[in-house]
Amino acid sequence: MSEFDAFRLRAHDWLASVAGTFGKAARKGLSEAEDLALGRRYLAARFDAGFAGINWPKEIGGQGLSHIEKVIFDTEEMSFGMPTGYFGISLGMPVPILIRFGEDKAWVKERVIAALRGEEIWCQLFSEPAGGSDLAGLRTRAEPDGNGWKLNGQKLWTSWAQYSDYGVIVARTDPTQPKHKGLTYFWVDMRAKGVEVRPIKLAGGDSHVNEVFFDDVRLDDSQRMSPIGGGFGVAMTTLMIERYVATDSGGFGPPLDLFVDLVKGLEINERPALKDGRVRSAIARNHAMRAGLESITARAMQMLQAGMEPGPEGSLNKLVSVRSRQKLSELAIDLQGNLGFAFDEHAPVKDNWSTSWINAPTGRIAGGADEMLLNTIAEKILGLPQDHRPDKGVPFNQIPA
Amino acid sequence: MPQMSILYDEGQQAIATESRRVLDARTSKQRLLALLEQTGTFDQLFWDTAVEQGWTALAIPEAHGGLGLGLVELGLVAQATGAATAGAPFLTPGYGIALAIMGSGNADIQAQWLPRLAAGEILGAVALAEGTAPLPTRPAVRYAGGALNGTKHAVPGGLKADIALVWAEADGAPALVLAELADAARTPVESFDNTRLYADLTFAGTPATVLAAGGAAKALALEILARMAIVTAHEQVGGAEALMLTARDYALTRRAFGQPIGAFQSVKHRIAELYGLVEIARANCIHAAGLADGGQADLTALMIAAADARLAATETYDTCARDCVQVHGGIGVTWEAGIHLHMRRTRSLAIELGNMLFWEDLLVENLTGVAA
Repeated sequence: MSEFDAFRLRAHDWLASVAGTFGKAARKGLSEAEDLALGRRYLAARFDAGFAGINWPKEIGGQGLSHIEKVIFDTEEMSFGMPTGYFGISLGMPVPILIRFGEDKAWVKERVIAALRGEEIWCQLFSEPAGGSDLAGLRTRAEPDGNGWKLNGQKLWTSWAQYSDYGVIVARTDPTQPKHKGLTYFWVDMRAKGVEVRPIKLAGGDSHVNEVFFDDVRLDDSQRMSPIGGGFGVAMTTLMIERYVATDSGGFGPPLDLFVDLVKGLEINERPALKDGRVRSAIARNHAMRAGLESITARAMQMLQAGMEPGPEGSLNKLVSVRSRQKLSELAIDLQGNLGFAFDEHAPVKDNWSTSWINAPTGRIAGGADEMLLNTIAEKILGLPQDHRPDKGVPFNQIPA
Repeated sequence: MPQMSILYDEGQQAIATESRRVLDARTSKQRLLALLEQTGTFDQLFWDTAVEQGWTALAIPEAHGGLGLGLVELGLVAQATGAATAGAPFLTPGYGIALAIMGSGNADIQAQWLPRLAAGEILGAVALAEGTAPLPTRPAVRYAGGALNGTKHAVPGGLKADIALVWAEADGAPALVLAELADAARTPVESFDNTRLYADLTFAGTPATVLAAGGAAKALALEILARMAIVTAHEQVGGAEALMLTARDYALTRRAFGQPIGAFQSVKHRIAELYGLVEIARANCIHAAGLADGGQADLTALMIAAADARLAATETYDTCARDCVQVHGGIGVTWEAGIHLHMRRTRSLAIELGNMLFWEDLLVENLTGVAA
């Protein structure tokens, strides 16, 4: 058995041993507050068991292992449905950036451990009404104020801001520079005076994203995590931190087996639905597509273990899997006829076709819209030209709004 | 446990590079275009190359004059032949016949045919299909007393093959039979892809030998079909990738409205989608070939992997052909541009080895146990 297989086994055994306390079944029927509290207890248990911060340095509370073990653990953990969603952004992006760019190492270590134990949550304040896919178009401004800064503006789509203790934020410090060059990166105390968080109810009924308003919020210069004007570069590093993440060929919706189980109980024209050519075609095409994504992931893991750089095809997963989840969910609902109308907005998206369907559009927009992912493939992998960008090189304050 | 896959080793990477290099040097679009307008000829230069490079010997055991390699290596060569729209349909059938002969366990037949197949001295065809069925439950061609009778329609390679693997009825059940075609009647089928050498083969007392009969015949036939389908899927991926790159290159050079057309999202996104299809199909091919060569998989697992590869590769090759022409605009539909060489090949490869409907049903049957 390789060391990685041994690690997988150890991870699986531990996860199985606590699944009854924290897993899918234990979470059923909990309110969001109760589920969050359970999640905090799960993270503390995970920390104590030695599975927190797997690929982070030991000096700051991590395990000092590689990202291979990290992906192995995350993949195993995913199948148990543990209450980790509230901490995904926090531990995925802001905290790693803090580790890399935070100046006060003792303070950083305190924050890292608190975040790993689920005691504190960090959010990432990037998107705005005028800057989502076009991040550098953001308008929130930080102006010099004594020996620090004064922050004003609005962020949008900030995940879990309502539960966050801290955030990382990109703000405009020089509007006379072209848009990418006038940005600076800070951390911000979400409990500070002048910060207001308003949850946004999404189409599916839940409210994990927020609007966040900053009204003369005071930042100390020690909260600055990039050179003045160097914020965009730090924000881009975020995207490189977790290049290899646990993937789900089901697009974070229900697995194909669940579709087959559903179909086995249905009829079309008074014949078993599983005998229907259209249904068989949908199953077969989805299986072929998902198997391909899984083989890509398997090969990437093998390459990492062999000390090689995985190919860029790993970037296809979200684009391909979430779109297909959306269509398969539509079909799963339709196949049930009138029985397909029933809807429980709290049902987990990985077990339920209706919540999977109504929340699928979020998956195609959040974390890189389909169109942006296609642009990235076209430009970075295939070498096709960038889109026409009329605002290129123009001072931000001269770009027509 | 997560899906398994394999990484190509250095020898395999060398096969991929070398086969691509040789075919790049020796493939001529003009020669292939000319062959389209003739019935009954194939690309002799390609076939000579295949023999010279040892591709006919790749997957035949060393004891029988082969190189003793596997589906992974053959798949890599098929990817190169697919990219080149190679004009001789004997590599994959030769592999299928060799599998059947190996599966027969008959040492005399193995000694008689395998060295000659490996050396490329004889050409083989696989004639399992009848009508719309890739593997009919009750084949109409009949075997009795060492001879075959009946007709197989539009057999790939049938016009020039020396021997054929035939799915025939023997003693009331389907059997795999090896026929010597010297005296069989051949009627060429005029097709959109003439170098495939489709021909109706009519057997009238044609000498033949049973390789597998009874229940073993169906299992062996399915395994051969699966393994040949995996080779063909590689060939389709090779063609698809060539089309995707052709579209990319054209989008970089062709200018309209003051910029390269590849700067328009309608064009660049189309090509990016092709990239996704190619990589997913390729991943299925690598997985299937590795599984087949690993020797651990049961027939169900092999059929599932082959079906995944086949379905993804067929959809990918079709889409790449459609979209590559579209990206080229008017020039794409001309005879001279030659993209139609691939377009034509998409259809021949989509049907040979069983169409999408066949593989969809087979996949779902193997996944759920429920037949169509």
